[in-house]
Amino acid sequence: MLETEATLEIQQLVAEFRPGNADLLRALHKVQHRYGYVPKEAMGVIARQLRLGEAHVYGTATFYSELRLTPPPEKRVDWCSGPACRLKGSTHVRKVLESVLGIGMEENTENDKLGLHLAQCNGTCDFAPQIWVDGKVVGPLTAADTVKLARELKDEAK
Amino acid sequence: MANEAYEALRNQAAEAWQQVEKPPRTLIRVPMATCTLAAGADETLAALRAAVDERGLDADVGITGETGLCWLEPVVEVRQPDGSVILYENVTADKVDKLLGDVIGGGVCNDLAFAVAAGPDVDAVQRLEDFDFWAMQERRLIARCGVIDPENIDHYIASGGYGGFVNAAEMDPEALIKMVEESTLRGRSGSNFPTGTKWNFLRGKEREPKYLICNADEGDPGAFVNRIMMECDPHAILEGMLIAAHATGATFGFIYLREEYPLAIERMERAVEQARERGLLGENVLGSGVTLELTVWKGAGSYVCGEESGLLASLDDARGMPRIRPPFPADSGVFGQPTNVNNVESYADVTLMLQKGIEFYQSVGTAANSGTKIFSFSGHIQRVGVVELPFGFALRDLYHAIDPAPWGERRTLKAVQSGAALAGILPAHIALKLPLEPEAFREHGVILGGGGIVFIDDTACIVDLNVMFSWFLEDESCGRCTSCHGGTQRMSEIFRRIARGEGRQDDYGKMDILAQTLQYSNCVHGSASPTIMSRSAEFFREELDEHINNRRCPAQVCRDLIRYEITGASDALAEAAAICPVEAFVQEEEAWSIDQARCIKCNACKDVAPDDVQIVDIAAGVVVPAAATP
Repeated sequence: MLETEATLEIQQLVAEFRPGNADLLRALHKVQHRYGYVPKEAMGVIARQLRLGEAHVYGTATFYSELRLTPPPEKRVDWCSGPACRLKGSTHVRKVLESVLGIGMEENTENDKLGLHLAQCNGTCDFAPQIWVDGKVVGPLTAADTVKLARELKDEAK
Repeated sequence: MANEAYEALRNQAAEAWQQVEKPPRTLIRVPMATCTLAAGADETLAALRAAVDERGLDADVGITGETGLCWLEPVVEVRQPDGSVILYENVTADKVDKLLGDVIGGGVCNDLAFAVAAGPDVDAVQRLEDFDFWAMQERRLIARCGVIDPENIDHYIASGGYGGFVNAAEMDPEALIKMVEESTLRGRSGSNFPTGTKWNFLRGKEREPKYLICNADEGDPGAFVNRIMMECDPHAILEGMLIAAHATGATFGFIYLREEYPLAIERMERAVEQARERGLLGENVLGSGVTLELTVWKGAGSYVCGEESGLLASLDDARGMPRIRPPFPADSGVFGQPTNVNNVESYADVTLMLQKGIEFYQSVGTAANSGTKIFSFSGHIQRVGVVELPFGFALRDLYHAIDPAPWGERRTLKAVQSGAALAGILPAHIALKLPLEPEAFREHGVILGGGGIVFIDDTACIVDLNVMFSWFLEDESCGRCTSCHGGTQRMSEIFRRIARGEGRQDDYGKMDILAQTLQYSNCVHGSASPTIMSRSAEFFREELDEHINNRRCPAQVCRDLIRYEITGASDALAEAAAICPVEAFVQEEEAWSIDQARCIKCNACKDVAPDDVQIVDIAAGVVVPAAATP
């Protein structure tokens, strides 16, 4: 593999990991923690470090929904897909977010300033229906609340 | 030998706890857990600290875990030197000044007071033990939640923590396993496999090293039972793993924790570090001869990794794809070595049993299931939270405690879903007759599960819930078994079609075939996935028929079967037009109407103009014969 500055940096990042040591997901987490996503270049580096096939590493990285292969947005809006939120109108919230922001789940706005992520229930169901703006719970939200919030977020992201 | 080392730790811990138990001056503690953070506890804590520092107030500020009273969070506790402990409800940052104004110097802030937890009575404030939600509980596993500082190992040790391990270490491992077997403790995740039997399997294996896994991948949507334990009393889980290590001879362990629980990860990592520093993890713990190294291991968002063979695959540098068994984990688990997997709550149960003795442990519950179970509840109820109840407790009593007083327009409870996506759904009239015990639920073809219970009233649509759950099951299927990935996909398609008003009577037959086919999946994700579909078809036939035969959604949830129409003419409509995210409001000569082609049915207009906008059934009155749709 061709060594570039990027691959050398990733190599250093994952140097502590060993084959057969339950390290693959840890390595992927560490790379994502550093870059906000798992860049393509990392697959080969991690594969070599852990003596695994590159396809195996890629297959693993794409299996898990919290690992991403594209750069994250500056600000992430997580939409909770859980049952308590659903019962209290999360479908309305989603419709509004997608139509005001003009993006779907797992997409970023063109300038990467804002992105939507489909999240799993974390059990803060007293605030259903809710979204998390950069990890901070916002709810309960009516559709009208969501329109206002989404318009603000959109303005900020211009 | 073990006892001496432990006594030294306890003496040291007692001093630290004394600072809380008998504080030299007013001590204010804020619960820091995911639920309370959502309610703004971090801001409350910062405001309290700033106020106390800046004004040089005679008070200390600390943290605790959460009590399970999620709907009252942030619940701030104020302890006074005279032994008074009062809980205050909904103390958001803006109420900090008010609280401080009253409590510094020993007073009570009546406006915010919720309950007296200890000390003398206060006029017009209830005692915590008299509060119905509290009184019905048997708080054992969560006894320390909201009482100790979860980041302080001394608080745990001072309350008898790690004493259960000391007791266990004095027992012969066989006797210990026998005790766990006889306790009736069965896995708390939903599969209900006897914990002692599992331990016995591992004990019998000679290949070393052996591994212990704590399954902390609580992925069931709507369940947050394990999260509370991990965030608020993390050492109780570590202690249970130490006891299991003594029983089974395992020397390494992983705590497999879902990424969606960042605070639980932080707390468990900190607990492992602290336990290691005190010699409570590592080699020859407290001179007992037990060795256990623990690692907190972070998942990355995959529901099937909560299934034990999926979890093991995930640990083993691969996709978290469950596999067919045998071999069972005791023969070939992580790295191909003998392994035992237990749930968070199961380990906490063992800790309790060893700390308090088997008689105490078995003093509540039923003959088949002694002890208690932690439940979390959400949905259409007034009090979202967490409780610990003895097995056999009536679900109806729980429901009354969490949805107590009529608030304005009440709706009727329609259904209860226990155990999340794989467990099924029951109509309220059946569910509310059941005791909280696995067998009672199994009789009706559903699973009690890991402890998450969702209450559903008649504003919800059963078809819509199936659309959600079948999508979830399809999305989370690992893809190995065709029966599962293809079956859940078909399930999803059928319900989406019914939700669009394109259902057919023969869909019921398809559902039966699917339910049978899905049994041929390698793991429970596939085999249990049709439960909710089958129970819906069984118990909610009328509602499904209404969608299929009449293209009508009785709850007016399925958006392809409804439309929004303007039926009023008030000024609120101008506001509604402004809020509409798709500019579907059209005005002609003062009169407003909705452009149906643009409308996304998001309900925003109805939020601002509830009297002027109505939801109308598209097919109102139109009966479509079942055979008419191809």
